Amino acid sequence: MRRRNNTRLEPASPVSLYVHIPFCRSKCPYCAFYSVIPTPGAVTAFLEALEGEIGILSGSTDRPRLRTAYIGGGTPTLLSPSDWERLISVLEGAFSFLPAAEVTVEANPGSLTRKHLALWKDWRVSRVSLGVQSLQDEDLLAAGRPHDSRQALESMAEIKRKGLSLSVDLLFGLPCQKLRGWSDTLRRVLNEGAEHLSIYELTVEEGTPWGRRPPRNLAAGYPFYRWAQYYLEKKGLLQYEIASFSKPRRWCRHNVAYWSGAPFLGIGPSAWGYDGTVRTGNVADLERYRWLIEKGIRPTLFSERLEGKRRAFELSVLALRTRWGIRLQEYRCRWGDQMLKELQGSLEGLPPHLFRRTPGRIALSKHGMRVGNAVWERLVP
Amino acid sequence: MKVPIERIRNFCIIAHVDHGKSTLADRLLEATTTINAREMREQILDTLELERERGITIKLVPVQMKYRASDGLDYVLNLIDTPGHVDFTYEVSRSLAACEGALLIVDAAQGVEAQTVANAYLAVDQGLEIIPVINKIDLPSAQPERAAKEIEEVVGLDSTEAIMASAKEGIGVKEILEAVIRRIPPPSKYRQGPLQALVFDSTYNNFRGVICYIKVANGSIRSGDMVTFMATRRNFQVEEIGIFGPEMRPVDELGPGEVGYLICNIKSVEEARVGDTVTSQRNPAPAPLPGYRKVKPVVFCGFFPIERDEYPQLRDSLEKLQMNDAALFFEPETSTALGFGFRCGFLGLLHMEIAKERLNREFGVDLVATVPNVVYQVKTSGGEIIEAHRPSDFPEASLIEEVLEPFIKVTGFLPAEYVGKVMQLCQDRRGVFLGMDYITPQRARLVYELPLAEFIIDFHDRLKSVTRGFASIDYEHSGFKVSNLVKVDILIGGEPVDAFCFVSHADQAYHRGQEVVRKLKEIIPRQLFEVSLQAAIGKRVIVRQNVKPLRKDVLAKCYGGDITRKRKLLEKQKEGKKRMKQIGRISLPQEAFLAFLKAGDEEEE
Repeated sequence: MRRRNNTRLEPASPVSLYVHIPFCRSKCPYCAFYSVIPTPGAVTAFLEALEGEIGILSGSTDRPRLRTAYIGGGTPTLLSPSDWERLISVLEGAFSFLPAAEVTVEANPGSLTRKHLALWKDWRVSRVSLGVQSLQDEDLLAAGRPHDSRQALESMAEIKRKGLSLSVDLLFGLPCQKLRGWSDTLRRVLNEGAEHLSIYELTVEEGTPWGRRPPRNLAAGYPFYRWAQYYLEKKGLLQYEIASFSKPRRWCRHNVAYWSGAPFLGIGPSAWGYDGTVRTGNVADLERYRWLIEKGIRPTLFSERLEGKRRAFELSVLALRTRWGIRLQEYRCRWGDQMLKELQGSLEGLPPHLFRRTPGRIALSKHGMRVGNAVWERLVP
Repeated sequence: MKVPIERIRNFCIIAHVDHGKSTLADRLLEATTTINAREMREQILDTLELERERGITIKLVPVQMKYRASDGLDYVLNLIDTPGHVDFTYEVSRSLAACEGALLIVDAAQGVEAQTVANAYLAVDQGLEIIPVINKIDLPSAQPERAAKEIEEVVGLDSTEAIMASAKEGIGVKEILEAVIRRIPPPSKYRQGPLQALVFDSTYNNFRGVICYIKVANGSIRSGDMVTFMATRRNFQVEEIGIFGPEMRPVDELGPGEVGYLICNIKSVEEARVGDTVTSQRNPAPAPLPGYRKVKPVVFCGFFPIERDEYPQLRDSLEKLQMNDAALFFEPETSTALGFGFRCGFLGLLHMEIAKERLNREFGVDLVATVPNVVYQVKTSGGEIIEAHRPSDFPEASLIEEVLEPFIKVTGFLPAEYVGKVMQLCQDRRGVFLGMDYITPQRARLVYELPLAEFIIDFHDRLKSVTRGFASIDYEHSGFKVSNLVKVDILIGGEPVDAFCFVSHADQAYHRGQEVVRKLKEIIPRQLFEVSLQAAIGKRVIVRQNVKPLRKDVLAKCYGGDITRKRKLLEKQKEGKKRMKQIGRISLPQEAFLAFLKAGDEEEE
């Protein structure tokens, strides 16, 4: 409870909420997110702990008001409909959702059921983010996914049938992945009615099976990324962030909140939170998470307070991930003339086609997004 | 043990690398029970770690042995070890000056090698008595008669009294010791009088300062004496004198003919140079001993610390190394690409490599060495002569009247079947044929004049590969000559980058420029811009290539709320590129330069 001052939220300011469901049916060899294969009783125990964490977090303050909520993982659809009922009642009891709140749930083909969808529809879920990854069975096999393309197509159809907004996650740069297959996947996903796409490049990360033993024949990312930028724009989707495309005004408000530096709560093991000053990270271990909460201790393992130039830098990089970029007037008000000059100085002399300059804003162009890393690096203080 | 001067023998061993000098020295130490065989490390004379590893001798370590000869009398034998490599010819000549005789070791299977001849001639020049020893006669491939014949024909020494030996098996060791007593004269030409002691080597000790290795020619030296170094005109009080057994052992006095060490709180070898003469301050000798000269470096290269903030450490280390190695030359240098470092001068390539490795090992400095180059003499149209130690010393092309470069006379000994290939190699390196003869029907001696610049890059390695290691070479400097040389600038994004500039013969400029540009193209990371690479002579561009701009440098990745990670990655990335060199608007990571220099190495191997 010592941290309460840092995390206390003004009752007037609505925030975003992330809930991490730390369970998967099997571990994908590339995935670095925290999840475990559930043992009997584990889900119930987790939901109990989650309730406990919310209790510690909100303390005596009013119920936090939510603008957006995102229930991810892991595999949230691994929770049975009755577990979901419990989860929903926990959330409803602890938070006050704004009427227009955006609520997203992550789902995976193979564990998503009609019962899930019915439950969500009756609650307040507006978007379902489906982990399709690819519609090519050889890609799914190579990526070690526990579902096939048929299940993915069925899940997409079910989501649309329920009238929920469909967002699809896709992976590129997989072993032996072909551009042909990628263009086929993009086309069919749009045909199924997806309004939002997140395209993620496979990264081999430490602490994953592939990190220990990198697969061979990984496809280079450039052609896939380039194609997506070209094709999705032609189909009327807007690239509003490095990895995100959406139909007009259908962008994910929850993610946009991350990139604009807005405060958000994170609950569940390994979840991240940010209160506007301090960023916190929960312990990425279910047992320890439960143990700490039982003792009445916040399960936070990491916290950092960012100030001055480093915070300005982080916010600039986040802003430059998006098509809205940095609002210069706002930047000047917040950080002062000198820092604005420094920002402009560090971008000076770069090829102009990397930027989209509109009055009062600077953002990366499509081309600029492809080399974002090299641009952001210049902003490091 | 004090013996009369008639029973002192000062001698050295001349041998080609691998012909068994160190093993023989060990056997002599054993036979005279100077050291306990069990305590003896193998090849005790090669004390530097590096020497032991490379099996070569760099520093001279004298050792005193006591020996009861067959005449029943006790003798003191001073064995002065000599470096075998041509880079250290001057040091060899100084150590020879401390001797009256030399053992000339020839491998019974390999025969006479080029360096053996050069060093034997140095010894003959100094008036030394030479005892030929044919070693390794136990080998199945040994041909002692052939080796003896080569000694007579190539070196011109009478080989009838050559000693047949196998240091490894201990054969002939007794005979060698007896021959040293019988055939090498005592240092009898020395007399009492004003002190004259030759500094034939020196080394640096962190606690005691410079330790001079001396041979007393005239007079005697005692601890507490005030002495003068005649070349540097520096005065010191003697702190300690002593002999090598082989460890340092203090004595009260060193008399005529004796070899030992001298410590007198000297801070740098600069003040006590090899070849200098030590005399008494109160009763100085009228003239120094003959033969002193200041050694001049012939090969230059830049040393730069890999970590920028290690510059002061590199400087300190070079200073310390110089205390030990008077032939090492260095001066500060700034490179746009590599930052602050030093331009260093060496006696030759081996000297350079040894310095580099010693800095690394003994002082823990990681450094980059630029491609070595020679000194050029540039005559300007104004009649001025500029000594160019590096390409950037060259004046503008239009001001150059002519350029002179150092040449060497290279003598090679090789099996007759490789003559064609070696001649081809020399021709390719702008060599001028001077002569050839057959020592035996199977072995030829080939003499060429070559530009030193062509020799220092990878001549040894090329020679080794075309002759499968069966050739040995020796060289001597033959002065500066006019060559058709040009300075080739390498421009990155239109800016000349000194680290890549080079001097080349006009005929090879295009080819070498192409090589450099090709390598750079592989190494330079793609930037946000297109980067042009050019090789140019003056204003004339001879090679041009472009590095295409970056296509993709972003990870479309899901971080969840973990924004910290991306920021940290960027910070780390930036940190890694702190050493970036800004050339115009292009930033090159230092790794590019390192990779460039490395790529050169690989090609040599």
